[in-house]
Parts: sequence; C-alpha cells; structure tokens
Amino acid sequence: MNRRTSRWGRIRPVPATALLVAVAAAALVAARLPGPTDPGPAPAAPALAGATLDGGRFDLAALRGQVVLVNVFASWCGPCRDELPLLAETGRQWSSRGLRVVGLNLRDGPDAVRPLLAQSRAAELTVVPDPDGARSVEWGVRGVPETFLVDRDGRIVAHRPGVVTRQWLDEHLSALLAAP
Amino acid sequence: MIRRLAVGLAAVALVAAAAVGLIRSATPAGRVDPGAAIAAGLRCPACQGESVADSRSPIAASMRQVIADQSAQGRSPAEIRRWFVARYGEEVLAEPPARGPGLLLWLVPAVALLGTGIAAARTLRARPRAGPAPGRRRRSRRPVWWLTAGGLVALVATVAVAADRLAPPVVTPRADPTAVALRLAQDLEGQQRYDAAAQMYREALRERPDDAVRLRLAFALLRAADAAGAERTARDVLDHAPRSPDGLLVLGLAQRTTHPGEAPATLRRFLAVAPTHPAAAEIRRLLDGGAKARTG
Repeated sequence: MNRRTSRWGRIRPVPATALLVAVAAAALVAARLPGPTDPGPAPAAPALAGATLDGGRFDLAALRGQVVLVNVFASWCGPCRDELPLLAETGRQWSSRGLRVVGLNLRDGPDAVRPLLAQSRAAELTVVPDPDGARSVEWGVRGVPETFLVDRDGRIVAHRPGVVTRQWLDEHLSALLAAP
Repeated sequence: MIRRLAVGLAAVALVAAAAVGLIRSATPAGRVDPGAAIAAGLRCPACQGESVADSRSPIAASMRQVIADQSAQGRSPAEIRRWFVARYGEEVLAEPPARGPGLLLWLVPAVALLGTGIAAARTLRARPRAGPAPGRRRRSRRPVWWLTAGGLVALVATVAVAADRLAPPVVTPRADPTAVALRLAQDLEGQQRYDAAAQMYREALRERPDDAVRLRLAFALLRAADAAGAERTARDVLDHAPRSPDGLLVLGLAQRTTHPGEAPATLRRFLAVAPTHPAAAEIRRLLDGGAKARTG
C-alpha cells in the first residue's frame, strides 16, 4: 500500500509541475505584454491620390510642406453633414497658413454629394470619391465621420473618430500652423 | 521488441491523429471561398461582436471589397490579414495570435497531454523491474492506460471528423458586395434618403443586373421624385417581363408625372395583371378619384 502511494507520488508531480510551469510562463508572457495603446512615433499617412469630384487631380504626396486635414464623410451620414460647414470654414480660415482640407467621400455618389457641398457652403472643398471604400480602409477608417490631421512631413499627428469640434481643430491646428 | 514496436506505432498514430484534428479544426474554412474565410476571421471595426463577413456596415463592405481585390491580386490570406493588422491593430483579428492569457488555451492542454504521456510511459515501462507480486497489480493498471489512449484517439478522431460538420455555420456568410449594397440601400430608404438609396441600387445593379434590383431602383427613384428615371428603369424591366406587376405599377405612377395621359391605362393594366397586389386597392382608389375628378 505504502509502495503504491509512493509510486503514485512519483508520477503525479510530473504533469503537476509541467502545468505549473505552463501557467507561470503564460503569466509571465501576459505580464510582459504592452498595454493596448502604445502610441509610438506618428505614422506616415497612407497614399491618397486620384480624381476629384470636380474632375481635377489630387495627390497627398504633392502636398508636403502643407498641413492637410483629411475628413472621411458620406452624404448618407447625418453627423458628417453637420460638421461639413465647420470643416469648410476652417479650410478658408487657415488656408493662407498652409492648411488644405480634403474630403474622402466614402461609398457615395456625386449626385448626392454635390448638393450637400452646396448646402454646406463647402463647394470649394477638395473631394476625393471613394466609391468602394478601399481608400478609407487603407487609412484604417472605422466609421464616418473620421478625421486625420497630416503634418507638413506627411505624418498623421492627430486622429478624430466621430464629429470634430471647433475646439479640437483649434487645439491641433494652431500648433501645427504656427510653424511654417 | 514487437510490443515496443506496437507501442511506438500506436504513439505515432496518436500524434498523427492529434495533428490532423488540430489542423482541421484550426482551419475550418479551408475549402470555402478564401475571401469569405478571411472576412469571417476579421472583426468589423465599426460594430460590436460582428465579423467583417456578417456586418452590414459600409466599412465592413469596404473591407470585403479590399479582401476581394487583394485576393484577385494573388495575395495570400496571411498577407491580407497582416495588411489589415497593420491598419487596424491586432484586435481586428477574430482570433488574435496566442499571447498572454490566450496562450494558456494552447499551452495547458499540450502540457497536460505531455504529462499524461510521460506518466503513462513510466507506468508501462516500470513492469520488467518489478517483482512478480506487485507486477500483477501493475499489469492491472495497463488496460486503464490503453483505454485512456484509445479514448484520446477516439476523441481526437471525432473532433477531426466533426469539425467539418460544425464549421459551416461559422463560415457560410459570404462576402458579397452586391448584397451589402442592397442592404445599405434598404437602410437608406428606411431613413428616407432615396437619392443615396438609388445610388446604392445602381451600384448593386452594375454587379448584379437583375430585374428585382431594377425594380427597387425604380421605386427609390420614384420616391426621390425622379419620375423620368423611374419610368426609364421600369421600362427596362418591362422590356424583359411585359407583365411584371411591379414594373407596371412604377411605370404607371411615374407616368402620372411624366405622361399623365398614359398613366391610367398603365395602372389599369397593372390591376388586370395583379388584382390582389398589396397596392391594388390604393391604385383603384387613385383611378376612381381621377375618373370622378374628370366627370365632376
């Protein structure tokens, strides 16, 4: 009886120890993982080039040296319609200091967008249509509206999911546009 | 010697069965459309708990389009997944790589199996060194180990076979951009954005030129006050199917704006073709009202 107990005693520690080691290793790995948000350096903005709504051509790469506000919007999105006048006004206000506002028009049609731009007093806005949404996905867009601020070196320095506010725009733009 | 060979073969069979089970259960979508499988393995970033394959959101539809484009360019599923991770982070994966607590799910069963294997090997190998009396006791334990091993093989084999039957519900949602455009258009109609809905129907129509989509487009145009567009689209349908009740209905309603003189005849044809149509009663009232207005 004693012998059996001692033999079982010799067998059991093997899986038990292995399990303990596994748990400890997994706990160590888990503990060493970085937090969910590790911002790091500002990422380079993805390419954005193509025909514009008014038949022109747009290329983000050609705008190095300027600050570019890329707003992803659609005419079927209520909050996008609401923020368009503010974005257009911001573009007008800061254009002399090197700001360019560009609309990336997600899964929409020109017939719906043109009247919207006219109603929003944003007719002069550069709009790059994105009928199949591939460009927006390239930018990592999660929903509309969503706004990216690209600095003079072509890096995304601020990102705003949802509607932008005047305060957010002032806060980020004044610092970027102060330095030519 | 033969016994050892048999034990070795059994062990190899066990490991092989386990490997097959693991591979088949880990890649349930191997035989279906790879684009749909990738979409099913990505989380929709605009939704909660929905995959890119399931979601009706425009961004998920766009992601499906990107998957289709990249697959057509010959990129492998792993490359496409990496492309999405670079833009949306690892949380875009429905099954993130085994790290941290997730690693336990893989490690614990593996270690448990290994431990059991070692324990079994020790028990079985200990027999020749033992004396006759305790040997009998130990021999009685051998069937238990063999039964356990047999049970494990059976379990793994069952999982390997059943994995395919369990998997389809997970992978059946197909990444179909047309279906998404249609759903989006219906949503837009619900929000009374008929112009945008018509645009979506046109997009769907480019991919799937069928009369059902044309009719939906015609109704959306009618509601968007584009009677001429609705009439044109209805006529396209009637060219293929001259007795289409919905085609006649939209045409008649559109003609009330474009060619008021022809509208009653078209609507009467509609009533003759589909007297029990849900809109029939309303159209009868409309025609009676028009007739009374003319006589009165």
